[in-house]
Amino acid sequence: MAVVPFDRSVLKVNQAILMSVIVVGYVVGLAYHPVAWALPVLAVMMLAAVASPSFNVPRLLYLRWLKPAGIVKPRVVREDLAPHRFAQLVGGVFLAAASIFVITGLLLVAWVLAWIVAALAFLNFAFNICVGCNMYAQLVRIGLLPLSREPAR
Amino acid sequence: MILLLAPLIAIAAIGAVALVLRAQRGGQRELVGSVVEPAGRRGPLPSVLYFTGEACTICHTAQWPALRSLAGSIDPGIEIREIDIAVDPDLARRYRVMSLPTTIVLDAAGQVTEINVGFASGEVLRRQLVDAGMPVAA
Repeated sequence: MAVVPFDRSVLKVNQAILMSVIVVGYVVGLAYHPVAWALPVLAVMMLAAVASPSFNVPRLLYLRWLKPAGIVKPRVVREDLAPHRFAQLVGGVFLAAASIFVITGLLLVAWVLAWIVAALAFLNFAFNICVGCNMYAQLVRIGLLPLSREPAR
Repeated sequence: MILLLAPLIAIAAIGAVALVLRAQRGGQRELVGSVVEPAGRRGPLPSVLYFTGEACTICHTAQWPALRSLAGSIDPGIEIREIDIAVDPDLARRYRVMSLPTTIVLDAAGQVTEINVGFASGEVLRRQLVDAGMPVAA
């Protein structure tokens, strides 16, 4: 994967949506359990974003509304997209697992998984600590993921 | 009402993972005082190993500028070697690097004297080089 210009604000919008929907969904869901069905929706959103930028709802929201309206400013950096895609995939898998527990009625487990995703999204949003990216680096380091990059210099 | 436990369990789970990672870092501390790279394989002796990666933002925005500044103020004979963990995963494995950036200070014999996990300022690294007996004066 090549190092390319990349707007980090897309990630921030994605993390903000995740945190907002999970926290609000959880609070409302304490009184009205069917709100937990928001988790499968989030899972589809995350996994679709990994599959193709055309299906990346936060990206489209950012490009078509938030950025033109000046609500979120662009922050373009040059970096490898692969770790971020992997982190999104991990979040999507967690939410997909949460969705299965929603379907089977185990709402406590579903919300635990969702809160893990929300907490990790918060770490990335507030402190730029990308746990999924670190997982990616470790998997490359131990040889479980292939290396497809040029040396840093 | 059992759902009220969900955030607490999630935070406990993340905390447990963080403790495991911390324990692994403890394992890295065991390297202090040992020679990880045999002399024959080392080539020119580095004094600071800088482990980085493309996705490590703080490496590029803070650690690398600090090292560049340090390099300009110390003896040119002291080598600062940059290692992309994706390019040289074997070396990262041998030094048990679990987090980026990591900087490791070696003495003249190649013995590990300090391991910094996370950002280390040029001032800290300079002091660690002095403590390792390296001729840091430019």
